[in-house]
Amino acid sequence: MSKVGIIACSGEEIPVGTVSRLATRRVLELLRPQSTVTLCLPLFLAGEEQERRFAREHPTITVDGCDRLCAKRGTEQHSGQVAASLVVTEILGDRAAKCHRSARALDKSDEEAVWIVAERIAAEVDSLAPTAPQAAPAQSPRSPSCACSCGSPPPEGTLKINGKTVAVAVLPLVFDQLRKQGLEPGEDSADRLLEMVRVYHAIEPEEEPLYGDALVAAYQEFCGQPPGDTIAPSRPTSSR
Amino acid sequence: MPTDSPTEKLLVVPCSGIGKVHGLISREAVYRITDNLMPEQAETLCLALLVTGDPEAREKVRRRPCIAVDGCPKLCARKNIELSGSKAALGVRVYDTLKRHRGAAFGSPTALSDEGWAAVDEVATEIAQTAGQIVGRTPNPEP
Repeated sequence: MSKVGIIACSGEEIPVGTVSRLATRRVLELLRPQSTVTLCLPLFLAGEEQERRFAREHPTITVDGCDRLCAKRGTEQHSGQVAASLVVTEILGDRAAKCHRSARALDKSDEEAVWIVAERIAAEVDSLAPTAPQAAPAQSPRSPSCACSCGSPPPEGTLKINGKTVAVAVLPLVFDQLRKQGLEPGEDSADRLLEMVRVYHAIEPEEEPLYGDALVAAYQEFCGQPPGDTIAPSRPTSSR
Repeated sequence: MPTDSPTEKLLVVPCSGIGKVHGLISREAVYRITDNLMPEQAETLCLALLVTGDPEAREKVRRRPCIAVDGCPKLCARKNIELSGSKAALGVRVYDTLKRHRGAAFGSPTALSDEGWAAVDEVATEIAQTAGQIVGRTPNPEP
């Protein structure tokens, strides 16, 4: 089954353009990595026919920052009809005014906005591809998961399991997201770490204790603490 | 190329490519110019408006000096400016700058590393130096 395409406007002039871009990346990398693909909108003019076929080959969701609808209009002009059109200002309402356009200035308001829009995109992906794997574990850690038409691979982390090095797709992104949600590193983080990683990486039941230990240590290191330190119990994390 | 009055700002247009870190570096380098180095002389434009053929955006790129900042050899910013009936006064290729730092880890298309931010500053400073000649003024000193 063809992957669902997402085209963001990435509008440079206004913060909601940045939100469109970041939310699209969030879906590609973390929320629906196996069922989505993207393309740079300007390639519809600057690229080749193979790029212009994008919306004909993939059911396409456009994500526009504002009501000028450049992604929707550009896709329909040069590639094909879109399956769904989302507009960041409509999704966020008043929250949009608190966003920033440069990554130097991003704060909690931007992070919240990106999550809201990303989850909206993911819901649209699910409606277009109900039988596509949404958050199914990857069959092979090295199989392509999220894809960009330019071929950029998703970020990957490694764990030591039974003396072997195992690659886990999107591990750095999972750690980053959990840290932002306030998950404290330490032994009590194991359950939450396993719950998240299990979405993207197959873990056999008998291997769960090993993965749990490895994830706790890796997360501690990610958070800048030496593995083995005693950390206070994690506080409950709020759902997104 | 006909230009507006001297008070009209230079247009600096990034490709903002979503698939590679180069696109993010191009985007942030432009913000560095418009927000810090040349806030009185330069502004940016949504490249997507040129993709749709927006008349106002096309008129802007025809009447003002433009700088295209492209992340990869596809040159989307430069080509879209040209397809709008204009020609970039300067075409910047971010990938040429990044080649000078082989082995560096600049980050991802979503977030830049410290090396990525250093590359942003390097690209922006180089552009500002040349852009200053285009508009005839000296860019702000780098803070």
